[in-house]
Amino acid sequence: MRFANSILRRKIWASLAALLVAWPLLYAQHQQQGGRPEPAQRSEPARAPVQHSQPAFVNRSNHGNVRHVDTHAVSRPGQRPVEEPHNFNRHHDVYVHHDVDVDFHHPRHWNNFRFGTRFAILPVGCVSVVVGGSPYYYDDGLYYRPDNGGYQEVYPPVGADVPELPDGAVAIDAGGQTYYYAGGAFYVQQGDGYVIAPTPIGVTVPELPPGAIQVVVNGGIAYQFNGIYYQPVFVDGVTQYMTFMP
Amino acid sequence: MQEPSRMIRLITPRLGPALAVFVLAALWAFPTQGADVKPADLKPVVDPSADKLLKRMGDYLAQSAFFSVNAEIWQDVQLGSGQQVQAGRTVGLQVRRPDRFHAEVHSTRRNRELFYDGKSITLLDRIHSFYGSIPAPASLDQALDAASDRFGIEMPLEDLIVSDPYESAVRKIVSGRDIGPVTVLGTPCEHLAFSLGRVDWQIWIEDGMKPVPRKIIITYKDEEGTPEYTAIFSNWDFQTKLPDFLFVFEPPSGVSKIDVEEIKARNQTHQQEGK
Repeated sequence: MRFANSILRRKIWASLAALLVAWPLLYAQHQQQGGRPEPAQRSEPARAPVQHSQPAFVNRSNHGNVRHVDTHAVSRPGQRPVEEPHNFNRHHDVYVHHDVDVDFHHPRHWNNFRFGTRFAILPVGCVSVVVGGSPYYYDDGLYYRPDNGGYQEVYPPVGADVPELPDGAVAIDAGGQTYYYAGGAFYVQQGDGYVIAPTPIGVTVPELPPGAIQVVVNGGIAYQFNGIYYQPVFVDGVTQYMTFMP
Repeated sequence: MQEPSRMIRLITPRLGPALAVFVLAALWAFPTQGADVKPADLKPVVDPSADKLLKRMGDYLAQSAFFSVNAEIWQDVQLGSGQQVQAGRTVGLQVRRPDRFHAEVHSTRRNRELFYDGKSITLLDRIHSFYGSIPAPASLDQALDAASDRFGIEMPLEDLIVSDPYESAVRKIVSGRDIGPVTVLGTPCEHLAFSLGRVDWQIWIEDGMKPVPRKIIITYKDEEGTPEYTAIFSNWDFQTKLPDFLFVFEPPSGVSKIDVEEIKARNQTHQQEGK
């Protein structure tokens, strides 16, 4: 018995000695990898907003200097571009980074919104939705209503339940709720779809709704869209727009 | 009651495996935690030649009472499809030490200017015809820090603007090396490479009497797609004097003043909304 215990103790001490030798090597290897996650995570298909599926990666709002390289290295509450969460789409493409000076020509379908525009026939690809018992048709951020034998482009109706977010929707965290903003509408996720919520007041959006009208409120410039006012404000050094009610 | 020595003999074989597991877990835990904090604690390993050249460049810029330079910027941007593309813009920068700078950032659809006159920083969005001002400390470094920390405004090429570009550049370096001579758009330069750990950066410094940067690349290794920021410099000018009016903002006709949102206020707003 004593002999067996002696062998066991020797084995333990040998294991510890091996570990102590291996530790510096393992540590050096870890340092060389910089503590980064294995890239295998990145190959998974993105079915949800990027930050949810790949939390290990940093997302800077700014680039181009060493001095403040870590100042805003972690995503703050506010806005973030959305990875298209559904896969039955056509050519949706969004920016993973929302940088101050990045400049791409990237028109969205809903940029063409003009309230009241009439069409004889519906655009191809429209989805039928019912809001408050009234029929609407939805196509990538644009909404239509039947009107005198044709169809009229209308403001995004609160309560509309659509299967997919419009192209280029931006996630905005406010009041403990994540909104997806596109084309003047604020969507919230419900089940597998997205429902247009009443516009939250006091949130900042990166661009005006299409067709917003410039007005003067209390002597200052503002914009109005579907009864909601947007006040321009510099955020992170670029012009954005905060919702308000005068 | 058993004797202590007998108890130890009985317990030791049973504790051995548990002890080994504990030690193993501790050894694995320490490197993981250490990797996050170690770069700041490690003594930088910098090639003396690289350090000397970087200091020479930094001192040259620091001792220049004023200068102007143009830069062409190329920045990697990742699309939702995973494709990586580059966005371009130009920056025109004028600096007059110790308390003046002006920068104009220009691309096809964006055009903004930043003015610092020793008292305030003013943003001008020429596309949307808006401007806004924030109070700023009376030194370049403090103004740059306040703009970044309080308002999220990153000044273009601020690594060149700071009062001591060398000190600002090396304070987070963990390694650096002199890659060797190379030409940038026909100008003989020395190529240096530095690492901050999660971020690498390279600089090409002109040979000769005017050791100015000709090119800078910053590689963000901790961001998805490892995006790079590239700046190529031209038209360095240390001769043409920069008058006061360059740095003092005068609203052009037709522009409107708007607020500049402070990060602190923004976060407080979000918290209040969350209640």
